[in-house]
Amino acid sequence: MNALEIKNLKKTYIQNADKKVEALKGINFEIKQGEIFGLLGPNGAGKTTLINSITTLEKPTSGDIQVFGTSVLEKPLITKKQIGIVHQEVINTGFFDVLEILDFQSGYYGLANNKTRIEYLVKKLALDTHATKKIKQLSGGMKRRLMIAKALVHSPKLLLLDEPTAGVDVELRESLWAFVRELKNEGISVLLTTHYLEEAEALCDRIGIINKGELIFCGTPREVIAKYSTKKISLKTKDGKQHHFVDSASKELSEILQKNQISFADIIDIQITEGKLEEAFTKVVNL
Amino acid sequence: MITQKIIPMSMVPFFTLVKKEVKRFMKVIVQTVVSPIVSSFLYLLVFGVSLGNSVTLKSGVPYLAFLIPGLMVMGLINNAFQNSSSSIVTSKFSGDLEDIRVAPVTHNQIIWAMGFGGIIRGGMVALITGIVGSLFHLMQRGELLLITHPFWTLYFVITGGLIFAFCGIFVAFLAKTFDQLSAFSTFILLPLTYLGGVFISVENLHPVWQTISHFNPLFYLINGFRFSVLGVSDVDLTTSVIVTLIAVGITYSMAQIALKKGSFNRW
Ligand SMILES: Nc1ncnc2c1ncn2[C@@H]1O[C@H](COP(=O)(O)OP(=O)(O)OP(=O)(O)O)[C@@H](O)[C@H]1O
Ligand SMILES: [Mg+2]
Repeated sequence: MNALEIKNLKKTYIQNADKKVEALKGINFEIKQGEIFGLLGPNGAGKTTLINSITTLEKPTSGDIQVFGTSVLEKPLITKKQIGIVHQEVINTGFFDVLEILDFQSGYYGLANNKTRIEYLVKKLALDTHATKKIKQLSGGMKRRLMIAKALVHSPKLLLLDEPTAGVDVELRESLWAFVRELKNEGISVLLTTHYLEEAEALCDRIGIINKGELIFCGTPREVIAKYSTKKISLKTKDGKQHHFVDSASKELSEILQKNQISFADIIDIQITEGKLEEAFTKVVNL
Repeated sequence: MITQKIIPMSMVPFFTLVKKEVKRFMKVIVQTVVSPIVSSFLYLLVFGVSLGNSVTLKSGVPYLAFLIPGLMVMGLINNAFQNSSSSIVTSKFSGDLEDIRVAPVTHNQIIWAMGFGGIIRGGMVALITGIVGSLFHLMQRGELLLITHPFWTLYFVITGGLIFAFCGIFVAFLAKTFDQLSAFSTFILLPLTYLGGVFISVENLHPVWQTISHFNPLFYLINGFRFSVLGVSDVDLTTSVIVTLIAVGITYSMAQIALKKGSFNRW
């Protein structure tokens, strides 16, 4: 059983009588249990629409979404319990402090007495010294951490993170990703969106690249790099000549050398720049 | 402290929402409690005392005594409506309504929690208004105004609180702007309360208005409540009880529709 299955998902927003936006045009993919899946795409690609469809904030026009084998559309009360969500936009209620917010959040999930879990999360996310502050008294990074703590109060099995690191400093970003890895080790499946491609490359087991409502690529970061990015080779041969080659990242070094009629024995210096996800991403999105 | 042993898990979201409502309005205590004290004090001073001596009612009830339950029920209605509508609208604004949408909370849990929140806040304001009014009565007429039929007072607090909390849910979920919300208050709620007999007995109205009043559901709520306090009123208790029960049913269905059709998304 997969943690998440998206089946031919379509969503058309009707802005007014003659203006329609096809935000999702038939998306298919799945996330296996315990996997970290990165959904990448430029602004307006449809990432948030997809995530909101999983949490029922948006109603799909057609298609189906299954969370651990249960349809989100048919039995939302069951799937909602298994999902934790960190929205792209931070909530801003002015009335309550961190502990109250986490207490209410637990209550929504049927947990009347969730003190131990709340204390653990508050500590884990370094919010313990801010526990009695209201949201507007928190910094942007603290708010993000609160949103993450909130998403985890009920120990969800599938965590959805919609740009959790937007506007977050380097140090916190690293600690957040370390935390996501820890969650993965606990067996939690993660769907995240981010615009930091290097981090996605390092963190995600698989990625999906979405553009204009279509999923253009789905696979491991290695696969997309091999398919769409380039390998750059600069080398110096015994005769003192400099050579520069650019070839597909999927090609092996020996193959490239052979193609250019250079033998290993002649090389005195070599520099290989492996393809980056960023390059592949740009290419995919501009296909 | 509510523990899991006492409440089944499925009821926890409901109690959480009620707790949140109460905590929320207790944080704006000036708006919820102090301002009704001030306004009912002013109404009593201006109408009850100054006009009170020149207005006599056919039923023989002194105007001050007539006015007090009217003000109580007006406080109940306004605050029940205010509570649910402003709670939902501010939640839409901050985005935390989305948290509820995303969580396994049913529409019924939301509706009844909002209803209870309305009863609690509306009931509190009615009680305070009643106490202030009763003290006024003591100063003016030498005796406290006591409730004649407390059971029926409670009944009308509960049904009145529910009706207007449900109305608040209906309007707040369907409203797309603050304007639409205040339009409902100004153009529908306010005229219905004033024409429903908060300040005047229908017997003093022109016959045309008397007939029209009988189509106003608030007329039955206000007069039913007045009956429970004074023991006399413009309509009989049974009619009031039936009409308010029907109104609870209708407004409940309206709230259900609003949750189905309306938007949880942030503004
Ligand atoms: N409520 C809405 N009504 C109408 N159109 C919408 C609505 N929400 C999103 N859209 C449109 O749907 C498309 C996808 O938007 P979405 O928010 O899913 O993009 P995204 O991939 O999350 O972008 P970003 O990286 O900027 O967050 C965009 O064209 C957007 O304008
Ligand atoms: Mg987005």
